[in-house]
Order: sequence, then structure tokens, then C-alpha cells
Amino acid sequence: MNFVQCNLGAGVRLHLCETDKFKSLTCKMFIQQDLNEEHATSTALIPLVLQRGSRQFPSVAQIARELEYLYAASLGMDVLKLGERQILEFHFQMVDPSLLPDSEEHLERGLRTFWGIAADPAVENGRFNETFFSQEKANLRRELEGILNNKHAYAMTRFVQLMCAGEPFAIHKYGDLQSLAKLENEGVYRHYQSLIRSYPLDIFLVGTNLDVIANLLAQLISEREQVVDLSLPKGVDVAKLRYFCEGTDVQQSILVLGYRTNRTYLDDGYYPLLVANGILGEFPHSKLFVNVREKASLAYYVGSNVEGSKGLLTISAGIDWREREQALAIIKQQVEQLRQGDFSQAELEQTKVGMINSMISMADNPSSLIVRNLMGVVHGDLRSIDTVVEQIRAVEQRDVVEAAEQLVLDTTYILGPQGEVGGTNGTN
Amino acid sequence: MEQIKLPTGEKLWQSQLPNGLSVFVLPKPGFRRTYAVISTHYGSIDSQFRREGEQVLSVPPGIAHFLEHKLFEEEEGSVFDRFADLGASVNAFTSSTQTSYLFSTTENWQEALIQLIEFVNKPYLTDENVEKEKGIIEQELRMYADHPQRRVYSALLEGLYQRNPIRLDIGGTVESVREITKEQLYDCYYTFYQPGNMALAIAGDVEPKEAHSLIAEHYPEWSHYSGPVERFFPTEPKEVAKDWSEEEMAISRPQYLLGFKHDPIWRGEEILRQQLIMAIAWRLITARSSQHFNELYDKELVSDSFGASFSCHPQFAYSVIGTDTDDPERLHDELTRIIHELRREKLCPTELDRLKRSLYGGHLASYDSFEYAANRVISNHFNQIPSARFLPLLSSITAEQVTAVFTDLLDWNRSSVSILRVKG
Repeated sequence: MNFVQCNLGAGVRLHLCETDKFKSLTCKMFIQQDLNEEHATSTALIPLVLQRGSRQFPSVAQIARELEYLYAASLGMDVLKLGERQILEFHFQMVDPSLLPDSEEHLERGLRTFWGIAADPAVENGRFNETFFSQEKANLRRELEGILNNKHAYAMTRFVQLMCAGEPFAIHKYGDLQSLAKLENEGVYRHYQSLIRSYPLDIFLVGTNLDVIANLLAQLISEREQVVDLSLPKGVDVAKLRYFCEGTDVQQSILVLGYRTNRTYLDDGYYPLLVANGILGEFPHSKLFVNVREKASLAYYVGSNVEGSKGLLTISAGIDWREREQALAIIKQQVEQLRQGDFSQAELEQTKVGMINSMISMADNPSSLIVRNLMGVVHGDLRSIDTVVEQIRAVEQRDVVEAAEQLVLDTTYILGPQGEVGGTNGTN
Repeated sequence: MEQIKLPTGEKLWQSQLPNGLSVFVLPKPGFRRTYAVISTHYGSIDSQFRREGEQVLSVPPGIAHFLEHKLFEEEEGSVFDRFADLGASVNAFTSSTQTSYLFSTTENWQEALIQLIEFVNKPYLTDENVEKEKGIIEQELRMYADHPQRRVYSALLEGLYQRNPIRLDIGGTVESVREITKEQLYDCYYTFYQPGNMALAIAGDVEPKEAHSLIAEHYPEWSHYSGPVERFFPTEPKEVAKDWSEEEMAISRPQYLLGFKHDPIWRGEEILRQQLIMAIAWRLITARSSQHFNELYDKELVSDSFGASFSCHPQFAYSVIGTDTDDPERLHDELTRIIHELRREKLCPTELDRLKRSLYGGHLASYDSFEYAANRVISNHFNQIPSARFLPLLSSITAEQVTAVFTDLLDWNRSSVSILRVKG
């Protein structure tokens, strides 16, 4: 289940995975740029406006009717954040034409619709349709205000803002309310045009008869300008010990700890870091689950994950406010055990086979098959599932200890019940 | 073994073991992963029951979910460890009518299947380990309580139902969970985990006969009560409990849900037919292709989260529509008007045909997710819904049946609104 790569012009890479395993054809396109305050909010607004209408289908209803007619073809757009890159994602999926009656022309029809919405929007006088623009600006405002509604997501957002203050990584993938208020139609349209014309574009396809589709896409892609050079994603190696507490209307407190990993995707020690994270908190056999949940009954969920581009390891748990000190102590003790090499051969092996299982499982889902390559795309180093499996298999106990020794605690954050939380911010 | 041809051209193999367990195999050649699930036809609403010749038992709300947590407990070692050794991931979930245990693996599926069968059939409960679980479940319930969509939905069910246990949270309450005892958990287990009340489905690159014999060989003898279980449900009055309810929470924008209570009159194939009719009817309001959706969107009364559903079971049936909105009252007036208009609007054949194509395509694509496909096979089996009848039923649906949803089914005298407002 590997991708064959070819170039379709300046900065356009096409990745093809020919397979008849799935009932659907899946296409994803990614346009990436540096994550920065100047453009983040503008980029976030683009997919919302584009989905309102294209030149060919100038309303949501017309687009939706076309997709329904094509047997529930689905089309979506979003913005992703990976390390310090912001990525515009376009997604298109339709039932494999071979399973449908009268459908040969459907494939072309579907792809043209998709391409039109991404690259040929409803434009008037050098800017987006004004109604679409102003309505979607209001929707993005609601979206940004709505981060508060999901308490875990809100805690993670606040945590990253506090831990990485001053670094581009602190910027939310949808930008911020202050920048949004200043956005104007012409400026966002200009930004969109430069993204589509001169930023690196990667197109992934999974399904059957991909040569036909590749030819069609080659015709659709217009002349592109010179490709913008992006900055190399960089990690940050300075860790400052800080402690923040915030209050809101919650029944459950959310505890987050952030460690600088001092190694990222391009480093030799990347896979040992992932295995260390696995032993610590990715699985139900991991130290955090066993000790914080199963033994101490302090949490329903507790786990850790690695942001491999920026180099952060994050631990989070939903706990009772009154038990926060106890939970913190047990969590820190688990990280310490990892550093001391205090884990069994069985824990190491279980973690490795668990990670290999989830890696191989990605071959069974077209979207995962594509999205798992994003890290490689951003870092200019695509790795096949087999390569990654080999890398994980080769990790030994001492590699894990070395990775754990490099973990440096930076920020501890608690979102607790209003009223309980006093002036406890600061360093400790 | 019986073979059923699915709309995708694939085959589903069905059989029943002598002990009563129903077995389904969905071969997926070329896939790396194997997924298996064992379910019991027992969920949060089954809190009053009687085994033949015995007394009626009443147990606290949340017990089915509690039992699901506890089956992972073992006298020695841990279930999670045993699956971790195989590189398999294991999990479970509880709904109002069903409890399911599952694994997914790319290696050793045979061994993982044996382990799954074994742990579901080997409860190990002590007063101590039951007590210990209460702290974990309390945190789970508090997490849900902080979740706005879940809060507004729970409040809606409490508004729609006066007595049916569907009005209670699947996990129960912090208080009801504290009451649960080891003895009650064993009572529920030995009543509802008998093989005749259960089903197993497996999907992956597996040979149906091999899977079947493996299951037959390893499914243990059931030496406990084996026979009919009478379930008791309070008689639900026609009227809703409350036609309007409001709560406050620290959120950015109000949430609005409108629900309709129906008489649960559908059985078997009729459930599937009604699900398809409702899917089309709700799309006339909530789909992006609908004129009504686009009007509401232009008036900034609905967001992208605008959607609707229909839940149907022999014990309850209800429909829900809703979204987050700045102005719940105005949205309520608009929906009232739209549903009223749809009583008179004739659904044009092109639109009906287009919506059917969309449902058909979505159904075909759903077989790419074999978790979804296998879980649906089991819930269809419990409700005697013939999976393979999807396409003929879809084709048979008429514009009149869709209009009848608006004229007859959505009864305003049996509706309830739940609103979550912004605190402060």
C-alpha cells in the first residue's frame, strides 16, 4: 500500500496508490505554508468561503445536489496544523464507479466539481462573493468562540498558548479573533490566490484506475508561479518550569503537562521517543493508564502523545480538583520510572507490537493511508509503513531510556472549577 | 452456514451454535486488520427483569455500563495485557439496548478471538474491585456532564419521556453508581450473558469456516440460567414529561434540540423502512441541498452542526432535530413553520430519486468501515432487521410515505424542546 510519486509542474506532487481494496475513491489535497500570525486566520477563513459556491455551482444547494446525484460523493475542506506549518486540506470521496450503474462519466463529473470548488470559486470584481465572505467571517468568529465548548480541547488550546507563548506554535489552527475582525475580502482573496498558485501542493489518490484521474487532474491544474520556500519546521529546546491554573464552569478538572522532547521527526532518536511515549501513555497497558486509572482510580481518561514536528510530549487527564496533587505526583513518578529504565521487557514488547498494529491498520483506511504521510510531506521525508514498522521494531530498552532522559518538563496547566482556583499561576 | 448477499456484492455468513450464540462472518479479502465484536442484547434500559420461575429483580441505573467496565477485571493479570501481548487493541461500549466487547488486530486474530471469548465469559468481581471502579466511572460521568451536546441531549430525553428508562443516562448517575453491588452485577451477568442472548461478528481477511469452527470450539459451556428473560418496562404515557426545558452552561452559543416522541410500533423490516423514510424526510430540512436549510443558514439561525436523527427500538422511538444557534426561539418558530409547510409540499420525483441515490451511495461506502458494518450486523440481528433488504426497501419508498412523516408522525402535542443557554 505504497504511493508512487510524480510531479505535475512547479511545486505540485501527485501521490498515487492504486488498489481495488476499497469501495471508494479517495482524493486529498494539501497546500502548506508557514504558521504565522499574519496569515493564519485568513487561511482558516478560505475553506469556509470556498465551500459556499464555485463558478460552476454558485450555491451550497447546487453543490450538495450535485454530490447527492453522484451517490453521496463527499467533499470537505479544513485547516490543519502540523508543527509550525498550517495546511489547507481538501477532501473528496466517492463510491468506486465500478460498483455503480451508469457511472463512468460520474468520476470525471465528480472530480471537476471538486476541482472547481477548490480552484475556481465564485468571484466578483477581484474578490470573493461578499455575502459568502461576511457570513463565513461570522461563522469563523463563532467557531473560535466555540473552542470553549469542548472543555478538553479548550484546555489543550490554552495550554499550548501558555507553554509556547511567543513561538508560532502557540497560534491556533483557526487563528484568532483580533485578526479575524480586521480581515477584508480583497486581502483574503489575494492570500487565497497566492496559496493556490505558489505554495507547495500535494495531491494524494487512493483507488482504482488512477492513471485516468491523474491525466484529468493534469489538465485541470493551471499554470503555476514559482514555488514559495517555506522555513524548516523547528523544535524548541529551552524548557522553563511553569505552572498555570485557570477556572471555569466545570465538574471535572483537566490536568495537562508539557515536556520538551528535544528530538523530532528528522532525528535518529525519533522512533525511540515514540516507543517511550507508548510505554508511558498511549495504550491501556501503559504506565499512566495502569497507575493513575486502574490502581489509584483517579481518572477515567489519562494518556500522553507526541507532537513530532515541534518536539512536545503532552500528558492529559480528567480528574477531581481535590485530587490534583496526588494525580500530579503519580504522573511524574511514571515519567521518572521511564528515565530510570524501570519498565519490563514485556512492557517494551507490548508497546512495540501495539504501535506496529496501529501502523499496519492504517493500510485499511484510505484517509489514514493518506494523512499518515503529512508529517513526511511537511519535513520532505516520506516514509512507507514498512519503513516505520522496521524502525519501531529496532528500538531497544536503552534507546527508550535515552529518549526519556531528554524529556524536560516545561509547563503544567490545570483547568479547574471556578471558585476553587485562586491565584496559583507562576513558576515553581 | 447461511450466506447473505450484501448490496456491495460481498457475502455475510451467518450461523448459530448449539448453545444459541449467533455468529456472523464478513470476509474482507486484502485487508490487514481483523475486527471482532461480541455483544449481548442487554443495555441501560434493562433494569427490571425476571428469569423463569424467579422473582422480579430491579437494579440501579448504570449497571450494564458498570458491568462492561468490570468484565476487564481478572483474578490474575489484566485483560489489557493479554491483548497487548498479541499486539491487539481491545475495547467495549454500552448503549441503551446493547453491550459490546471488541478487538482489532493485524496479527494473531485467532488467538485474540479466543481471548475475547474467554474474558467475556469469565467475570471476576469482588467487593473491593467493584468499589474501586466507582471513582473511575464517577470521572467518566463528570466528563460527560461538561459536554454541552451531551447535556442538552440528556435533557431532551428527560423532557420526552416520563417513565421509560431511555430518559436516564446510559452510565447512570454518580449516586446510582455508588449503590451498585457485586451481587447485582452477577445477577445481571448470569441473566443477560447467556449465549442465546448474544451474538458474535467478525470481519477481516478470514475464512468463514475456520472462524466458525474456532468459535464453536472455544465458546465455553454455559452452566448457569439458560432460558427466557422477561423484561419489564413502565408504561409510557402518550404525553411528554415537559414540553420545554432550559439549562445554563459556560458555553459560547446556545444549543437547541427539538424532539418528537413516537409510539414504538415498528418491528423487523419495518424498522429499516421507517429509518429510510425518516432519513429522507429529515434531509428535506437539514441537508445542504435543501432550500429550507439554506434559508435558515442565510438567516444565521443554524450552523454546520444542524442535523437530525431517528431512534427506533421495540421499546421506544423518537426523532430529534437541532443545532447551536444565537436565537433558539426564532429557530423554533421557523422549524414549526417549515414542518407545517412540508405537510402540503409535494416531494418532486427528481428530488426523491436524488436523495435515494445519496442514501444508496452512503450505504455502499459504509462497508469500508468494518467496525461500523460488523456492529450494524449485530444490532440488526437483535432487532430482526434484514440487512440485505436495504436496496429493495429504499427503492420502494414513495413521496406519500415521506409526506406522512410531516402530516402524521411529527406530532406537536408530543414534542419537547431542550435548550442550553449561555451562562452569565
